[in-house]
Amino acid sequence: MEEKIISKQNLVKLCADIIGGGHILIAPGKTEYVVTQDASQIVLDTQSKPTKASYKTFVFPKAEPVLYYKRGKNDVQILDAGPEQKKTVIIGAKPCDTNSFNILSKVFNWDYKDDFYNYRVKNFIVIGMMCEFSDRYCFCTSVGSSPVSEKGSDIFLIPLDADNFAVRIVTDKGKEFIDAYSKYLTDGNPSKSKEVSEKVKHPEVAFDSKQVHDWLAKNFEHPKWDGVGDMCLSCAQCAFVCPVCHCFDIVDEDYSYTEGRRMKNWDGCQFGHFTLHASGHNPRDIQGKRYRQRVNHKFKYYVDKFGEILCTGCGRCSRGCAVSIDIKEIVANCKD
Amino acid sequence: MEELRKLAKELLENKTVAAVLGYVEIEPKRTKPIVITNPEDAEKLVFNEYCLNNLAVYLTKARIKNLAKQNGSVLKLGIVAKPCDIHAIIALIQESQLKREDVYIIGMNCGGVAKDFGLEYGADTLASKCVPCETHKPLYSDTTLGAEKETPKVSDEVLDKIRALEKMTYVERFAYFKKEFDKCIKCYACRAACPLCYCQRCITDKTIPRWIESSPHSRGNFSWNVVRAFHLSGRCIGCGECERACPMDIPLSLLNRRMTETAKEAFAYVSGRSLETPTLVGSFDVKDSDELFM
Repeated sequence: MEEKIISKQNLVKLCADIIGGGHILIAPGKTEYVVTQDASQIVLDTQSKPTKASYKTFVFPKAEPVLYYKRGKNDVQILDAGPEQKKTVIIGAKPCDTNSFNILSKVFNWDYKDDFYNYRVKNFIVIGMMCEFSDRYCFCTSVGSSPVSEKGSDIFLIPLDADNFAVRIVTDKGKEFIDAYSKYLTDGNPSKSKEVSEKVKHPEVAFDSKQVHDWLAKNFEHPKWDGVGDMCLSCAQCAFVCPVCHCFDIVDEDYSYTEGRRMKNWDGCQFGHFTLHASGHNPRDIQGKRYRQRVNHKFKYYVDKFGEILCTGCGRCSRGCAVSIDIKEIVANCKD
Repeated sequence: MEELRKLAKELLENKTVAAVLGYVEIEPKRTKPIVITNPEDAEKLVFNEYCLNNLAVYLTKARIKNLAKQNGSVLKLGIVAKPCDIHAIIALIQESQLKREDVYIIGMNCGGVAKDFGLEYGADTLASKCVPCETHKPLYSDTTLGAEKETPKVSDEVLDKIRALEKMTYVERFAYFKKEFDKCIKCYACRAACPLCYCQRCITDKTIPRWIESSPHSRGNFSWNVVRAFHLSGRCIGCGECERACPMDIPLSLLNRRMTETAKEAFAYVSGRSLETPTLVGSFDVKDSDELFM
């Protein structure tokens, strides 16, 4: 597709226009993706560490009401809680984040089409950016992505020099969006941006996801799961910072005896009570079984069902783990 | 390091302990917890300024406790512990979660640890829990290893922040904590990493009735974080694992340190310091001052 160039000054103006136009603008902050009101404060650094959490909360909020209810004398009144979100733009998203909507959309449009999710994604513009960060936890290249992958981006930025970015227009949605700001763009030079992106160092490929899938199919009862489980503390940090973990819990919250709302809240498969049955039976009663579920869901079940790995290789789960459990290392060892 | 490895190997070989909880280096300036049952693996153990975890959290885990049961007899669990980690072990014993004879404490003299993995250890990067630390030598241990060290002297940022919060009006302070708690995603990493959050079933997981809203919105987050602070008042030993585990950088130490200071001022009590002292709640006396209560 097309390629343009934007200077850093013009990029600040473009961001200011996005905010001025009443849209929500999200950019990487110090440790999190944050909604920003001041375009001049946005720092786009290809070498920055991935934020602690992904930006999935902007399309799949950690807590959202799905309906409101009122109890009358003889009836219950149900009121819609439609998703309300202005057009949202994220700028400077890492390639390991941008692919998340492609993966999440599969499950949110499987047997039931999730209006809340779909509405937000429809109104979401993803401006991705090439990544030059890499640490021991990164493994985007092992799950079919790369630091220069445009997958999931509507527009993709590549820094050409200290003052300019190449603006690759990846999707029709991206083109429609950026056309409104064409005054800030000049004609691009694809050979230059190609040269820059080809020089980016890629994290080493740690495993072959096909082989991992096949190993998992044969090793459900492998004793290694117990060992992994014994060190895991059973929190949901890994699931909650993950760009593609999507489990949720439905709970009713009463404001009063007659009114309340139904909430959809994040949930995580590493919690002991996640699979606890009302009978008291728990099919995943020890942590090893729960960790096995985490790995199988990501590298086997989701692949079987939707043809995608439920992982973007961002490494957030491992980077944030209080006991330094490294999913890359565990998955790489899923072999005979 | 060699003496640690030698001791761990001996303890496993002569069946004093069934397992040793310790640290293994995964790259320079980065360690992770490990549980060793094979004497040959003792050579993997390390101890340095990057042994951030408080391993006492594992002592109440069912499968770790089960390791101690071997061929009908019950062996001890060995644990490599910093002096502050030992405070947690003492607190667990005080609270009858553990028996002193069930654990073999390999106490390490400690000059403080780094704030995070990968940072150059020094005054600027000292973990905030180490700043007010007064126990560089283990208060209790079965063997103490390592040279005695002092912690670099730096200002106590946490205490400064607590003082600053106290100068605020009630409304300002509420607004401060609302902003911080709004970040909470209820992953419960704070609870999971806490050696003293050992309840088999946490009050937040109870649904009939539901005492604490599970939604991670302002109200639910306030309920959770404040209830946790209450449950730890006079119990928290200040290892700071909750704050380190928090993916959203919520300054949980402000709450926990404040509660610790309160218990210290009002009752001259600090948790996890003495095996001869009952717990603060356990030593309630009707003649106690009720000034702290509304």
